[in-house]
Amino acid sequence: MEEVLITCDNLSHVYSGGVVAVKEVNLKIRRGELIGIIGQNGSGKTTLVKHFNGLLKPTYGKVIIKGEETTNKRVQELSRSVGYVFQNPNHQLFAKTVTAELEFGPRNLGLSEEEVHERVEKAIEFFNLDTYRDQHPYRISFPLRKLVGMASIYTMRPDVFILDEPTTGQDNITTRIVYQLIRRLRDEGSTVICVAHDMILLAEVVERMIVMRDSVLIADTDPKTVFSDRKLMSSTHLYPPQITELSHRLKDKNFINTYALSIDEMQKVTDQQLQVKRSK
Amino acid sequence: MRGAVLPISMVPGNSVVHKIAPLPKLLWAVGVLIISFSTRNPAILGAMIVLGLFLASISNIWSSFLKVMGILFPIMVIAIFLQSIAPAFPQPWTPIAQLGPFTIYQEGIYSGLTLFERTFSMTIFAMVFIMTTHPSDLFVSLEKIGMPYVINFILTVTLQLIPILQREFATVLSAQKSRGMKGTGFGAVLPSMVPVFVGAIERVQQMSISLESRAFGSTGKKTSYRNVVMGVKDYVIMVVGLLASAVTLYWILVDKSLDWSRTMHFSPTLSVILVITAALIFVTFIVISVSKIIKT
Repeated sequence: MEEVLITCDNLSHVYSGGVVAVKEVNLKIRRGELIGIIGQNGSGKTTLVKHFNGLLKPTYGKVIIKGEETTNKRVQELSRSVGYVFQNPNHQLFAKTVTAELEFGPRNLGLSEEEVHERVEKAIEFFNLDTYRDQHPYRISFPLRKLVGMASIYTMRPDVFILDEPTTGQDNITTRIVYQLIRRLRDEGSTVICVAHDMILLAEVVERMIVMRDSVLIADTDPKTVFSDRKLMSSTHLYPPQITELSHRLKDKNFINTYALSIDEMQKVTDQQLQVKRSK
Repeated sequence: MRGAVLPISMVPGNSVVHKIAPLPKLLWAVGVLIISFSTRNPAILGAMIVLGLFLASISNIWSSFLKVMGILFPIMVIAIFLQSIAPAFPQPWTPIAQLGPFTIYQEGIYSGLTLFERTFSMTIFAMVFIMTTHPSDLFVSLEKIGMPYVINFILTVTLQLIPILQREFATVLSAQKSRGMKGTGFGAVLPSMVPVFVGAIERVQQMSISLESRAFGSTGKKTSYRNVVMGVKDYVIMVVGLLASAVTLYWILVDKSLDWSRTMHFSPTLSVILVITAALIFVTFIVISVSKIIKT
């Protein structure tokens, strides 16, 4: 088993108005995991992940990051281990050029100029931003700005990336690029946690799914189990990918015998089914 | 997402004060404002403070009220310390005590105390007014008495924009902290302010487009979803407020013996205690807020 990076031990968070946003969550996140967190708006997803880099501190219970409790740690210290990419890149970006933006994080970590330079070059290559390196972050398109936002965290080399809605507001091509980047981040040994409503991302990219409902963690398993559990899905008012819903209905009518999360998978399932029929 | 939003806003409730229409309350608040600037008589100011605190207590707004006062009170109370060592008062000053390098003057204590009472009474009434009045009701009422729609609208939008910008600032701050930004010093200004300003400008641009598309500039009488009806009780309160303010003002202008600055004497011990307490409250407040800022 890989090393545990984040542990939530009976974590509860109560906001100052008395609203319980997260209730008794127990959870372990390991190196190299690709996790999706889903739930309706207001179900406590964001509150939960904000504990992972110390932006929020538990009201009850504890959060342990790489062996250390977060309670007395500052976000700035934890940013070394856990990077949080905000949903709206405009909240993050302020520098005059993309390069300067990427330098901000590693400089804050107190790295040498060479190290900073090396990391920025690596990030520009990784996110394919070479054409835009001297442009103003506010002048480039929104999907690119989102990539710059991710790259600005990438240069800090955290063990865990938290991506808040990494694909919203983007077209198909840029969405696919984000999927690819997420997989590559994982291949480099990072843990990636996506808070998302993008069902394709969850079905095709993510490997472990955490489902929140009314501040409670109600499921923590692989996407297939989650999406095939119709009761669970409808109780959270979320819809599985259309292809999964189709496979559900086909299965109800005994056309196929298993669920599919993606079109490729669906094709495989139907192909198998055809073969079985032919051989009969 | 909850950020560091200032708690100055309406506290929903059903108290007697909540039920009074906005205009009579506004009139009272303005009356208190005028009177507190017209007099330096500690008794009149004190009476207004007591009345204000009474209104605050019957309107059930204590928790929000105390939160705001926790910030404003230490700032107001420092007037006692500053005035006592350098009174904003015509010379001659009568020294009554020596506190280290500072000489405390009789007039200073008087001036500081009244200045404190003045700001305190105004703030209490303003807070009670704001915390018991729905902003929309206020603007509907103001429009009824002839406030131009555009000015009214600017006020509404500004009031709405403040909490939005505060929330935005909190988000930007957490985004930058997540990038390892040191929370203090000049280095923090650019990363946290640029996104907020850019966001604010974008928001205003979008708003102007959406206003245009909803016929903002059109002529004709505008109606409002909320309606404020002034009852007999409201008129009575208004007339009483008006009369009380006018009478008090007349009294202040006519009766010169209300100026107690040369007749009211403070014992040195009392003065020293007052000055030290004021300074201590202020210093504690500064220490607490600075340590809070550093911690986050």
